[in-house]
Amino acid sequence: MPTAPVPADSTLLSRREALARAALMLGAALSPSIVAGVLRAQAPAAAPAGRRHLDASQFQTVSAAVERILPRTETPGALDVGVPAFVDLMYGEFLTADERFLFATGVKDIEAMARERHARAFTALDAAGQDDVLGRDKPFFALLRELAVTGYFTSEPVGRNVLHYDPVPGRWDACIPLADVGNRNWTR
Amino acid sequence: MANLQGAGTRQNTFDAIVVGSGISGGWAAKELCEKGLKTLVLERGRDVKHGDYPTAMKESWEFAGRNKVNQAALARQQKQNRTGYTTHPASAHWFVDDVDNPYSEDKRFDWMRGYHVGGRSLLWGRQSYRFNELDFEANLKEGVAVDWPIRYADLAPWYDYAERFAGISGQKEGLAQLPDGQFLPPMEMNCLELHVKRRMQEKLGRVMTIGRVANLTVPHNGRGSCQYRNRCIRGCPYGAYFSSNAATLPAAAATGNLTLRPFSIVNQLLYDPAKGRATGVRVIDTETHEVIEFHARVIFLCASAVASTFILLNSSSTRFPNGFGNDSGELGHNLMDHHFKVGASGISDDFNDRYYRGARANGIYIPRFRNLDAKTKQKDYLRGFGYQGSASRTDWARPVKELSHFGAKFKADLVAPGPWRFGFGAWGECLPYHENRMYLNHNLRDRWGQPTVTFDCEWKENELNMRKDMKAAAVEILEAAGLKEITPFDDVSAPGLCIHEMGTARMGRDPKTSVLNAWNQVHASPNVFVTDGACMTSNSCVNPSLTYMALTARACDHAVGEMKKLNL
Repeated sequence: MPTAPVPADSTLLSRREALARAALMLGAALSPSIVAGVLRAQAPAAAPAGRRHLDASQFQTVSAAVERILPRTETPGALDVGVPAFVDLMYGEFLTADERFLFATGVKDIEAMARERHARAFTALDAAGQDDVLGRDKPFFALLRELAVTGYFTSEPVGRNVLHYDPVPGRWDACIPLADVGNRNWTR
Repeated sequence: MANLQGAGTRQNTFDAIVVGSGISGGWAAKELCEKGLKTLVLERGRDVKHGDYPTAMKESWEFAGRNKVNQAALARQQKQNRTGYTTHPASAHWFVDDVDNPYSEDKRFDWMRGYHVGGRSLLWGRQSYRFNELDFEANLKEGVAVDWPIRYADLAPWYDYAERFAGISGQKEGLAQLPDGQFLPPMEMNCLELHVKRRMQEKLGRVMTIGRVANLTVPHNGRGSCQYRNRCIRGCPYGAYFSSNAATLPAAAATGNLTLRPFSIVNQLLYDPAKGRATGVRVIDTETHEVIEFHARVIFLCASAVASTFILLNSSSTRFPNGFGNDSGELGHNLMDHHFKVGASGISDDFNDRYYRGARANGIYIPRFRNLDAKTKQKDYLRGFGYQGSASRTDWARPVKELSHFGAKFKADLVAPGPWRFGFGAWGECLPYHENRMYLNHNLRDRWGQPTVTFDCEWKENELNMRKDMKAAAVEILEAAGLKEITPFDDVSAPGLCIHEMGTARMGRDPKTSVLNAWNQVHASPNVFVTDGACMTSNSCVNPSLTYMALTARACDHAVGEMKKLNL
């Protein structure tokens, strides 16, 4: 049984190793064309660089909000792993027309509520003030939180370093102590 | 001219033609090639060589939008998206473009298609169960539809044969309703699955077994074993699950007898009334729109239930005014699928310090326990169902109801696994009804000028009554297991969504009431075999692909035997 751990710091290396492992198990090398094909497929999809769909003010509000949902602690925060850019992409290309409306209205709402309750822009509030405003537009907040959570936990830094990353487990252990994986979810 | 035509005919003449390269077509190709026949495999989609799986090794962050479906892509795959999972960027390239491949629905029918070499063998759920003795006898005993012309004993050795090549992992249980097979070592159940299994056995006397799955638990026939990534639908670079691309087509190619022609829509069968036989097929090249004829002594239609039936319906002639081999009037009728998406889930407070390593590409199976004998007889419905499901720890995607929950603790909570959850759903048998059908729509033409398909199919009383029990029995099992927050569901879906289309050119004993005979030959033209889901006379409650493999291998053996005897 292959048990060598996959190094978590290099996608390319781990995949080469994974393929080599599989080849070992087959008792024969995989054909070079398969290896090349699999490695070639790794060219990363164009990562959303930043704001493309939201306007500058919306993007700032969203950025502040998602960092309150998933703040930096001993692990990265939403801003550290590009969650605002992910939310921007979802807004521009993935949400339905209804969801887009809900989202745009919700951003306006929290801006308005920040002024109403604290007489300042949402982005100018301290953490307690932002937390007070967030969640008051419930349908919007549920959508924003879901997008933030998805963007955060499917990001590369979190997938590699926060969750338990093993893209080619090579085996199935049906029942292990949770402590063996540091009480962390597997990366999907 | 005559010479040229002669040369062209020779060049386009084979011993056998196989239409389609999915589960059934791949098996037909392998069997016929290995038995020495020069075989042409026609596939309407593009070629896919084993290993040519562009998303197989991608991580979530390597997809724009993290593997979610964007609105532009959705606009082209509205119907393929009805599953909720197939059109994610990790697998969308394996499913057809609905704009280019339209169909119509008198009643909603979810038709999921993969047009490429390997077909849906690249995408299937891989659950592999044998039909049982009851399945083949039920129509006769209950006076439903027509009798199967074969029995379990006819197919048993071919199940053995198919399993030995394909590689099916599973646990023998000694149950009449779920016959054991030639298994590779089983995958293990996790701790909550074992808990539910034991409690259910103690309190209800029902059996749970690990899924019998076409994923290799040990290297097998030159293919690698499962790496427990559970990304099968993307294609497996290790060849660790059975597909035409990884298994049957390479075996066929190794004989030197295989010619594979992608981009080739079979539009109709060619028929010679003097011989009373089909002589070949008419093909449309999807790229050039060129029409080409190919000839062979035997033709295997393995294009999937609906597509093979389409070809037969579209092959009308003076002899067959209502479609090829349609003397019975049953062609296109008796359309079946399994009905599913009904069951229950529950949470366990136990095993909080336990987890698992790897992503098992398999679940558990609870074999049918209804209508097996007098004791289990149900008054509201015929036939039965099996459950498929699994237990797992919920992860960061678990729903969090309280909107006040966000911030540092929220994040930390989602990093750690959530509670154990056991969820399962039933897969139920659907009776064959004459009025459930597909037919040709000459008003809507596809890009190649062909008529298209219209579906007119629905669940009826037997299925709807069965669903009530499927839900109630699921709750009963979870209560017996002592789970909490038991949540039943019945998300009744339209036929088709289970992607087990069957029955539209059924086998039977009588040419007056069926299209195919006991060897999958068209009654009225015995050199045409149909061995995909179209041939099914009833549909059991188990996943059907293994049965197509066995039927196809058996039919190929018969075809070659008959050719040697010069009967074909």
